[in-house]
Amino acid sequence: MALKGIDIFKMSPKKNCKECGVPTCMAFSMKVAAGALPIEKCPYMGEDVIAKLSEATAPPMKTIKAGDLSMGGETVLFRHEKTFVSKTLYAVNVSDDMENADQVLADLQKVDYERIGEREYVEFINVTRVNGGDAFVELAKKAAGLGRQVILNVECPACAEAALEAIKDAKPILNGATVENAEKMNELAAKYGVVLGVKAADLDTLYDLTAKIEGMGNKNLILNVSTASIKEAFADAVQIRRAALKNTDRTFGYPAIVDVAALAPGDQAMQTALASLFTMKYGSIVIMETMTYAQALPLYGLRQNLFTDPQKPMKVEPGIYPLNGADENAPCAITVDFALTYFVVSGEMERSGVPVNLLISDAGGYSVLTAWAAGKLSSSSIAKFVKETVEPKVKSRTLILPGKVAVLKGEVQDKLPDWNVVIGPREAVELVQYLKEFNN
Amino acid sequence: MPFKKTPQKFAAAMKTVELGTGDKKIVLGGESVLPFYSFDAPIENAPKVGVEIVDTLLEGAPAQMKEFYAGCETMADMAKKAATIEGVDFITLRFESADPNGADTSVEECVANAKAVSEAVDLPLVIMGCKNNEKDAQIFDKCSEALAGKNILVLAAKEENYKAVGAAAGLAYNQKVGAESSVDINLAKQLNVLMTQLGVNADSIVMNPGSATAGYGFEYVISTLDRIRLAALGQNDTTLQMPIITPVASETWNVKESMASEADMPEWGDVETRGIDMEVATATAVLAAGSHGVIVRHPQSVTTLSKLIHALI
Amino acid sequence: MAKFVTIGERLSTTAPAVNKAFLERDPEPILMRAKQQLDAGAVYLDVNIGPAESYGPDLMKWAVQLLQSNFDNVPLALDTSNMQAIEAGISVYNRAKGKPIVNSADAAGRIEYIDLAAANDAIIIALCNGEGIAADNDERMAYCQTMLERGLEHGMETDDMWFDPLFLVIKGMQDKQMDILEFIKMLSDMDLKSTGGLSNNSNGMPKHIRPIMDSAMVAMAMQCGLTSAIVNPNDLRLMETIKSCDVIKNNILYADSYLEL
Repeated sequence: MALKGIDIFKMSPKKNCKECGVPTCMAFSMKVAAGALPIEKCPYMGEDVIAKLSEATAPPMKTIKAGDLSMGGETVLFRHEKTFVSKTLYAVNVSDDMENADQVLADLQKVDYERIGEREYVEFINVTRVNGGDAFVELAKKAAGLGRQVILNVECPACAEAALEAIKDAKPILNGATVENAEKMNELAAKYGVVLGVKAADLDTLYDLTAKIEGMGNKNLILNVSTASIKEAFADAVQIRRAALKNTDRTFGYPAIVDVAALAPGDQAMQTALASLFTMKYGSIVIMETMTYAQALPLYGLRQNLFTDPQKPMKVEPGIYPLNGADENAPCAITVDFALTYFVVSGEMERSGVPVNLLISDAGGYSVLTAWAAGKLSSSSIAKFVKETVEPKVKSRTLILPGKVAVLKGEVQDKLPDWNVVIGPREAVELVQYLKEFNN
Repeated sequence: MPFKKTPQKFAAAMKTVELGTGDKKIVLGGESVLPFYSFDAPIENAPKVGVEIVDTLLEGAPAQMKEFYAGCETMADMAKKAATIEGVDFITLRFESADPNGADTSVEECVANAKAVSEAVDLPLVIMGCKNNEKDAQIFDKCSEALAGKNILVLAAKEENYKAVGAAAGLAYNQKVGAESSVDINLAKQLNVLMTQLGVNADSIVMNPGSATAGYGFEYVISTLDRIRLAALGQNDTTLQMPIITPVASETWNVKESMASEADMPEWGDVETRGIDMEVATATAVLAAGSHGVIVRHPQSVTTLSKLIHALI
Repeated sequence: MAKFVTIGERLSTTAPAVNKAFLERDPEPILMRAKQQLDAGAVYLDVNIGPAESYGPDLMKWAVQLLQSNFDNVPLALDTSNMQAIEAGISVYNRAKGKPIVNSADAAGRIEYIDLAAANDAIIIALCNGEGIAADNDERMAYCQTMLERGLEHGMETDDMWFDPLFLVIKGMQDKQMDILEFIKMLSDMDLKSTGGLSNNSNGMPKHIRPIMDSAMVAMAMQCGLTSAIVNPNDLRLMETIKSCDVIKNNILYADSYLEL
């Protein structure tokens, strides 16, 4: 967010000398704010002002990269204001004193699936140093070998260096720098070209430490929120993000790590709740003890919804989706490729227990009525899809149309004379009853 | 240079609504900050967690839940047991089987059940219907009459039946009335206006601006709640300052993730754990966006959410 | 963005009935007009007691207390060329529903009104005029700057300085209207607040035309960023236009009943 005209005016000489070619300093400030004139046009503007201005044009929150993953770069606090750009990423923790570290590493790989065109998996492995030495280095190597990004959770510079040297190509996040070790850790982060995580006991100390590390020339950072209590962690996460975006305080213009595993050890349901909370309110990386399917299904679904671009409809792949063990003889029901429609319709159909071949046609990601109005769900598009894609694979010749486009029935029937075209219900909630009766 | 904290305390506040009577009475709303932003200003009334009891009892319930309610044969039995759950603030009765297109349970039977529950427990009561507008209006009317003085909440009046529901529950029997819209913030506001124009006291209205399950178009729920809270507090829009209650269970237990058996989806693991996590994650997100009360089904969900809320306030 | 602030203009000595009531300290006509304006949706009420040289302080105190005690501390704009009367009014003013507005300063003879507002933590209406009407927007901007600097020197927040571009009468100055609108846009670009006697534009027009012209003017001015206006709130067409513009500008959330709120 750029400086406002009024802020520039307050720093201007206020002498209305007209040497810039504009009658008043107010008018000049306004033009600078709008980008119509360079600030250098004013011969009397101080250097500090010019420096402040150039800083002000930088984005309020930096985008930090770990491998192909991006964090931060947000410009708004609420998704309806614009859109969130970098989704929350999840990590599972392993430490070098765990007896079952291998099991944890194996388990976290089990969650790996696709949801509406997005791969859902545990993006980071948080490798925690407790004992240090070879055990820590070996664990870091194992983690790095799994094709996930690694966070080295270590405060001892010697241990950090050993692990960094061992997995330097993986470009792990070095987490982290504390008041005690900041210089040394910063040197390591620079030497290995990795993101440096900053840790402190409270928000004020975190702020000072971040400013200090920035002063050493490092702006490739990520901030840790408190692990002292849930309340403090939440307060930190909100205040860091709000300071960056609302008050353009760039010292806090970095992504944040939330260690949910440390906030509710051993309590899976609570960790799910906390991961949900910090996905909503401003965690860039959320570290958990586990990521089971029970946790992943709601969390990745929530994340996908929250970080969706309101301008782009979520689409599912067009095709034939057999439900409830449907075979080639099961009746066909057609709808559109808008993800929400697909989820609601398929969910209700599954609830009915009746075998159905759900046909998803390419309708530009619109809902049924919108697609129909836009000409993307028409008798021709349905007939073409059925002939080209469905007829070669399905023997049934029963086609259920969405009740909302009952008006298409005649035309579809004309274009598909071999088919028995029937009208389904208008609302998805009526599907269960409809299909049960249909089956009888 | 130390970090400059800039608390965002709004000049406006959410209204408060009381439910129930006596020691177990609860208060929803009242704060001047965004959800859980107690670092900006104190939040006097923590959000509340309700447990849902459906009139089909334990039909289709998962194993641990059946075990928890073992021996319960009526809604009143279940309510008594539910009242012992750690962290429960209120009880919700949902008369799903009253649907004329389903079992069509009579209004009298619903009322008898509600009355039995109100005699068995002293927690505040919320009454939900079967999503049939006409039948719901009758259930709300008769339950409000039978439970006069109990300060119950009927959930909820909709655009189609707000006159009947508002007049009966809100005006005739002085109960609390929910105003339900479906992720449509303009309609949420309009319903509040219509109800107050009908004569229902603004302090007797609770909003349900719509719910969904995480992953199922849930972004609309988030944005509706965000925008209501920002309009209520930031623009001092008095027609949107009513506290918000969100029925979560009736959404989250009906999706594939919570229903598919372990036999069908072996890699997904235990079905009950999936149901709990879906309910907990969704309810947490709803609370984080602006609800003052959530309604969930599983005892473990109630306890987890209550612990989370009290850790945050 | 915040909702548009309407300042009701009907409590003015220029109306004979009001003048008489002020002089006789007769509450009835004052309260009646105040109620009509508030019922119609006015946010602030302007209290214009005229120059009131000798009795100003006493009259302003009486008016402030009368209005605030009857209408839940309704926020007021104190409108007089008698500075002592303004201070007297503020001394009994209750801020529960909003700061008092001092109406008004200009960049010439009335610049000290800014000091007065600053000293009393009040809002100032700053008329972008010097001696006589500004010739063009450069001159208006210079006056605006002079007053802004004065306010900042005295520790005012810019949000408490509401700049008045001075609406000009169309019958006679038709060619200046777009300048005024452009100036409002300039204020808005500077993130400055603005207000003014909007109905000045339709002075001298037939009675049935004025609401139409005022509504068009307020809509165009709100598009340019006008944040407040001194208006007749009992002009239904005007008030409906303002509410509709507030909806379009996303200052208030739409509901079917928005005109009734």
